Amino acid sequence: MTKILWLRASLISKVVVYTLLALAAVITLLPFLWASINSIKTSTATFEPHAFIPFLNFEPTLDSWRNVLSDPQAINAFISSVVVSVGTTVFALILGVPAAYALARFQFPIRSGDIALWFLSQRVLPPAVVLVPFYLLMVSLRLVDTWIGLILCYSAFNLAFAVVIMRDIFRDVSTEIEDAAKVEGATPWQIFWKISLPLSVDGLIVTAVLVFAFTWNEALFASALTSQSATTFSALVLASRSTRGVDFNIAAVNTLIGIVPPVILYFFVQRYLARGLSFGAVKG
Amino acid sequence: MPSGGDVEKLEHLVHGYLKGKIGRREFVLGGLQLGLSLAVLTRLTAPARAANLVESAPEVPYESPITKERIDFLKTKPFKGTTINVMVLKATVGDGLKYHVPHWEEETGGKVNVAEVPIETLHQQIFSDLASGLGRYDTYMTGAWFYGDFFVPETPYIIEIDSFLADPRYPYWDPDQWLPSMRKLYEWNGKLYGVLFDGDAQALYFRKDIFADGQNNEKFKAKYGYELPSPPKTMKELHDAAEFFTGWDWNKDGGNDWGLALHAKVNEQGFFHFLSLSAPYVISPDNKYYFFNPQNMKPLINSEGHLRALEDYIKLAGAGPREEISWTLGQGWNLFLAGHSAMEPTWGDLPTLAQDPKTSKVKGKVGAAGIPGTTEAFNPITGQWKKYEFNQVGNSNGGSWHCVISRNSKKREATYDFLAFMANKKNAFFNSANGWTGVQPGMKFEYLPPVGTASLDEFKAQNWDPDDVVEYLKGYYSVLSAPVQEEYLRIPGTAEYWHELDVNISAVLGGQMQPKAALDATAAAWEKITERYGREKQKALYQASFA
Amino acid sequence: MKAMHGRPAEYGAVFKYVLLLPAVLWVVAFTFAPLIFVIRYSFANYVLGMGITGYIGLQNYADVLASDRFWHSIMVTAIYVAVSVPVEVVLGFIAAWLVNLGAPWARGFRTIIGMPLFTMEVAIGYLGVTLFSSQGGLVTAVLELAGIEVPWLSTPSGGIAAAILLDIWRWTSFVFIIVLAGLSSISSDLYDAAILDARNHWQVMWRLGIPLAWPVTTIAILLRIIEGLKVFAIPYALTTGGPGTSTEVFSAMDYLTTVQFFNFGQGSAMGIIFLIMVAALITVFFKQMRKRLG
Repeated sequence: MTKILWLRASLISKVVVYTLLALAAVITLLPFLWASINSIKTSTATFEPHAFIPFLNFEPTLDSWRNVLSDPQAINAFISSVVVSVGTTVFALILGVPAAYALARFQFPIRSGDIALWFLSQRVLPPAVVLVPFYLLMVSLRLVDTWIGLILCYSAFNLAFAVVIMRDIFRDVSTEIEDAAKVEGATPWQIFWKISLPLSVDGLIVTAVLVFAFTWNEALFASALTSQSATTFSALVLASRSTRGVDFNIAAVNTLIGIVPPVILYFFVQRYLARGLSFGAVKG
Repeated sequence: MPSGGDVEKLEHLVHGYLKGKIGRREFVLGGLQLGLSLAVLTRLTAPARAANLVESAPEVPYESPITKERIDFLKTKPFKGTTINVMVLKATVGDGLKYHVPHWEEETGGKVNVAEVPIETLHQQIFSDLASGLGRYDTYMTGAWFYGDFFVPETPYIIEIDSFLADPRYPYWDPDQWLPSMRKLYEWNGKLYGVLFDGDAQALYFRKDIFADGQNNEKFKAKYGYELPSPPKTMKELHDAAEFFTGWDWNKDGGNDWGLALHAKVNEQGFFHFLSLSAPYVISPDNKYYFFNPQNMKPLINSEGHLRALEDYIKLAGAGPREEISWTLGQGWNLFLAGHSAMEPTWGDLPTLAQDPKTSKVKGKVGAAGIPGTTEAFNPITGQWKKYEFNQVGNSNGGSWHCVISRNSKKREATYDFLAFMANKKNAFFNSANGWTGVQPGMKFEYLPPVGTASLDEFKAQNWDPDDVVEYLKGYYSVLSAPVQEEYLRIPGTAEYWHELDVNISAVLGGQMQPKAALDATAAAWEKITERYGREKQKALYQASFA
Repeated sequence: MKAMHGRPAEYGAVFKYVLLLPAVLWVVAFTFAPLIFVIRYSFANYVLGMGITGYIGLQNYADVLASDRFWHSIMVTAIYVAVSVPVEVVLGFIAAWLVNLGAPWARGFRTIIGMPLFTMEVAIGYLGVTLFSSQGGLVTAVLELAGIEVPWLSTPSGGIAAAILLDIWRWTSFVFIIVLAGLSSISSDLYDAAILDARNHWQVMWRLGIPLAWPVTTIAILLRIIEGLKVFAIPYALTTGGPGTSTEVFSAMDYLTTVQFFNFGQGSAMGIIFLIMVAALITVFFKQMRKRLG
């Protein structure tokens, strides 16, 4: 961080900066607070005017928390989400990182930037359209409503991130050490595995977190490709809509529960973010 | 008809079958040899079956009445080791089904695996499973409007259940107890496919206390020149009452109240309001067609009658808060339950929810009646308006959620057994009397005498206010048993047809479209859908859905 | 050993393909192969229960192109992206710049401001209903205090505005995290030099921060445009496209057509048309980006 700018700033500037940051923080946190308040209301109370402060404006209840936490389907979905997100992350990295390395280090008949772009281009496909052939594919592979089916699907979608981000990160890693290793007679695999990869571990972690977060968020495919055993948490949230509409108190509980795993991850890795996510685009 | 000797054989056959000496397969084959159709065989055995009924058996606590064959059958734990897969709607009706699972498992030794799917994806999940041939589920809980889609392939996706009904080893239930308008939704082309569960209809619920209030009556009379009708019987009365109760504090809590609650968010079933409220403008003793001309499948939805109904519907929407247009069903109910709305045309869940003091301020104050009628209706087939003294139309609008058996099921017997178990009088009555199951009464016995055999005490035990339950069942019955009934669309693609109507009506309420343009747009979209499915095919299925 | 002494082009000649191919094959198998099905369906009349009942040439394409609802959904999506992405980029950049100044507790702010990226969009859409509802909604109530009454969920413009606000809340964090990474990798020597030349803070930001962080920012913009054009969960959970179809984004329409109503034919044609439009847009965008980088 650029302490120098801060140290030379005037008091007024400092006050302004803190005010803006505080404002940003409040706006960011307010919906979480609101979700917490909703989560201790009854479903009718979620639409009562001026029901803001528990005990004062409305009678809080833990019913919706009990409801969700005692629902085997919710717990199952939570486990599914963790398994699928972790599985996807691992799989996308196993496939994407070597490809990214190849694109960063070697010449191909096609410009490596264009190949990276090609990987990215599949993100443009409208999801609702590829969903149908994907479902048929899953049927023929007998993978409907399974974790593996979802992992296969998600890893293909998230491969693009792994390739694009990691390619830039590898390009950013100095090649001097690799060159030295070459002279020592290391094989290309050894150089990749023992030198480049360890040097890029920050970027690896960041990529993993992003893939995890994107997978965790996905609901459309999950709700179409699963019906019971592999239903993920986000698909379950999408399903908060019942015949009478959404039970917003339950949806609020799900919002809060659903944010826990990725945020925990985020807490642990945020110190890597700065170093890892420069995309190699900034030199200096 | 069978000859003399055949009659003897037949008697032997039926007798042997009912006593369990002859298996079902043998019985059916024998009967067929005698030149009898399955339907006839079914009818032949029904009375004999009833004769073998006992009110209850101590060893089978979850079924009543029950046949002797069933009692014997259960002793063998017939479905030990069998697991059936059931896909249900994730809603109260799904909870209702789940309630019975452990009981059935205990009785038969079978296992039930329940997948709960939200309404948003239920249709898609059912037909993905069927069309892909995956067949992971033995039975699906279906909305009545899914039916047409089951009958698109040469061999329908679901199987008929008449032959099971004839077999006394399965749980006893009597389809003749159905109100005719409801039974139609469980049948296709005169054959039974669905097993009794839910029976939906929309009625008008109103605040008895507010309508009976003398001061309100005086005010109303001064303004409209006639007595405040309790409840409104014609559309004009409905409109006057809705307007009258809008915009002032009749419940004396300090805030303005409303005449009539609706919910109109797109994709949230709001268009059912329009279907129910518009019916008497189009349906009459002279015309039963609401959606299509059965001769050529041309849409009727933009007829003069529908147009007038829509223009009136817009006025009615003015008797509720402006945001109704973004409300889901539950939000509409909340307005009535919180005591801010004098009326609401909706499903039977409303009076049920009104019994819970935690969410309701109107317990004991809920009246129920049929959807008001008209004095003039348009016949879209002949293109003529015609006067009637009073044209009231019943409906069975809604999901009438119930299970059908997949043709892919390899465990049809166990599956039917479970479904029939829930249709058994004891369990069916439990469902309709307990609000949390989301099940509304469709069978006669679920009503109070003289129609049925339910008793007020049973409802009181479920915390019902006795006045409310009497009103509710009376009003609900009047809707389902009305001699003139609105047709229920059950052709393939119904969800899509309805969706087009839904978004266009919503656009009218939102002020982006004029009523005529919206109905024309709906008709044009319907033509496209019909073309895609094939006009001739749709025509045949449309006619079949009436049969 | 040979490879080592050979010319660089030969080094790892096989190895590089071993690394690259699995990923390429994976993407082909799981995204481009299905595309063949999509193209086939787009020329077909598909009916649930019967499958493809016949091939009808370009009819599906003609129907889609003649559909007001389709063009309206494209317009809503375009407005959605055109408003939300620039705001997200500006806010995300400013937030990143402020956090990067290194004030005490900046780390705390970094944690908080990045959090929305890890929420589920569907859940945020549902939460939005309770924020913008006129019955007890938080945002509505706060605005009421200021005497402003906005019919958020009952009008087309209100519905889109509410969805965009939620989108900004959710995705600004994405730009923030990426730009912050870019900014913080600028060497502090450069700041030291810049601050001597600059008259004030703003100049440092304009002359140093923005140019150096621009490449990273363009990647963030590109990803936001791509994902934004496919937006589904937030607006759909909030308004389900209503009133009427006034707030229906493209993905929602496509979802209803293809998935809910099994109209694979038209849904596929719609998807292909959309794909072509987006690809054109992205190509133009990339050319611009290359120029700036170049």
